[in-house]
Amino acid sequence: MIRPPSRAALRAWGLALAVLSVILPALPLGPIFAQPPMPLAVLWAAYGWAAEDESGWRAPTTLAALGLLHDQLAGGPYGLFAVLYLSAFLVGRVAAVVMSAPNIVSLWGGFIVTTLITIGIAYIVAPLGLGRNVSVGPYAEAAVITAILFPLVRPLYMSASASQRAGARR
Amino acid sequence: MRRTGGGRRIAPGVLLAIALVIGGVALVAIQAGRNGGFGQAAQQAGDGAAGAAGRAATGPARAGEDFFSRVAGLWNSADRIEELESENRELQAWRELAERLAERNARYEALLRMPADAFGEGADVDNSIAAQLVLDSGGPFTRTLVANAGADHGVRVGYIAVNENGLIGRVVSVGGRSARILMLDDYNSRIPVMGEASRVRAVLAGQATRPPDLYTHPFQMQAPRLDFIVGAQSLREGERIVTSGDGGLYPRGIPVGVARASNDGQWRVALAASQRPIDFVRILPFVGIERPEDSLVDDGGPPLASASSVNAVGRETVTPAPTTPTPPPAAPRPPRVVQPQAAAPAPVETPQPQPEAPPASPPAEPQE
Repeated sequence: MIRPPSRAALRAWGLALAVLSVILPALPLGPIFAQPPMPLAVLWAAYGWAAEDESGWRAPTTLAALGLLHDQLAGGPYGLFAVLYLSAFLVGRVAAVVMSAPNIVSLWGGFIVTTLITIGIAYIVAPLGLGRNVSVGPYAEAAVITAILFPLVRPLYMSASASQRAGARR
Repeated sequence: MRRTGGGRRIAPGVLLAIALVIGGVALVAIQAGRNGGFGQAAQQAGDGAAGAAGRAATGPARAGEDFFSRVAGLWNSADRIEELESENRELQAWRELAERLAERNARYEALLRMPADAFGEGADVDNSIAAQLVLDSGGPFTRTLVANAGADHGVRVGYIAVNENGLIGRVVSVGGRSARILMLDDYNSRIPVMGEASRVRAVLAGQATRPPDLYTHPFQMQAPRLDFIVGAQSLREGERIVTSGDGGLYPRGIPVGVARASNDGQWRVALAASQRPIDFVRILPFVGIERPEDSLVDDGGPPLASASSVNAVGRETVTPAPTTPTPPPAAPRPPRVVQPQAAAPAPVETPQPQPEAPPASPPAEPQE
């Protein structure tokens, strides 16, 4: 009898995946590890932690740290990825409140909306630090891939039951 | 949000996230257009640490690649040797031709007194620094690479990065033991270039939508576009594109790539550096050519505001009068000075100058 992994273990794996998605694209490991096509796993973490009522200081602080690390490795201005990840967290908090039926379809839909909003934010914030010639296209591509893969990794970041979501109707 | 009594209270985590978002946007805006300061110093320190980590992390991967390629090579070694031998015979003929042409080219260059321009005119090739690229750009917004040579090795911001095929980019940030190179196809990269044969000037605008890739694929997926082409009708498909040196950021004459006409009617450049994956680079010191006004030499020339160009030409072509008496040359040539008719009438057989013909020499005062 194989015991299913605990929630804490799944969350730890989710965090590890998020950290790897930041570090691996910086290493010269080939096109598969470039971003895109490598998904932005920190977006999964931001959305999942927000939807699981991670209302303490740990989630925003971790997301800000991961964002700054991503900025460092990408050579971009500090704060850009931190803003994107934190905005995904905030959108996830709003989505958790308005989500009436927390099932995989609504969770997925909420995440798609979240990624679209981060693309919009990137469209506004990226030119501030990188000039008007910067393209948001590659980020949008990575975000779309992240949204498509979301159902596969959803258990690492959130459970589908309503009990852990503060905003969901019980 | 949690209901507490009749009102709503925002969770501290959400408040913290909002504050961090505002701080992040401010941080991005503060760094815009600033070279230097804390952000730059932190970036350089971080690049150094990331470069060291990248070397350590990719060391086993590189060793593994080497091992597997050797094992794979053992399977067809006999065929490979035969193929290489025939290739070698062919290359011997090409080598002889190349040596002859190189010798002839050196003679021509010596004849023309041309500066060495293998890496562009003005590049200090003797003091170039070899480096290995250890990190890709990790993000989708910028296309930079990190090399494992920095200020400790003599690298400075503005130095040029090339490989054996051509230009890669320019150093934009330098740490102690690492340097960040902005690649040619970054969206913010704008480089003045020209056609090597047609001399058509243009600006090479980065267009890549893919992150760089050091190993398994060429680093560049989408060829940069040529903007602001002056005389596009003279540009030819397949013409070599080199840096023009305009603006003073790059030396003139570094190979950039080959001009390609795309289906949308625009000209693009297939980058020379992307012919094979980039691993080692050469970082060239380059100091832009200064304006002549910045280093004036008192050579007794005419003032810039001189009204007559004839005076300038005269100074260039007519030997100045000696200030001290010198012995006359063995066979002095007669002065080419048109004598006034009144002073010395021309002989009868001398042909009269045609009215439309230009004067043989500028009007000059009779020399003593």
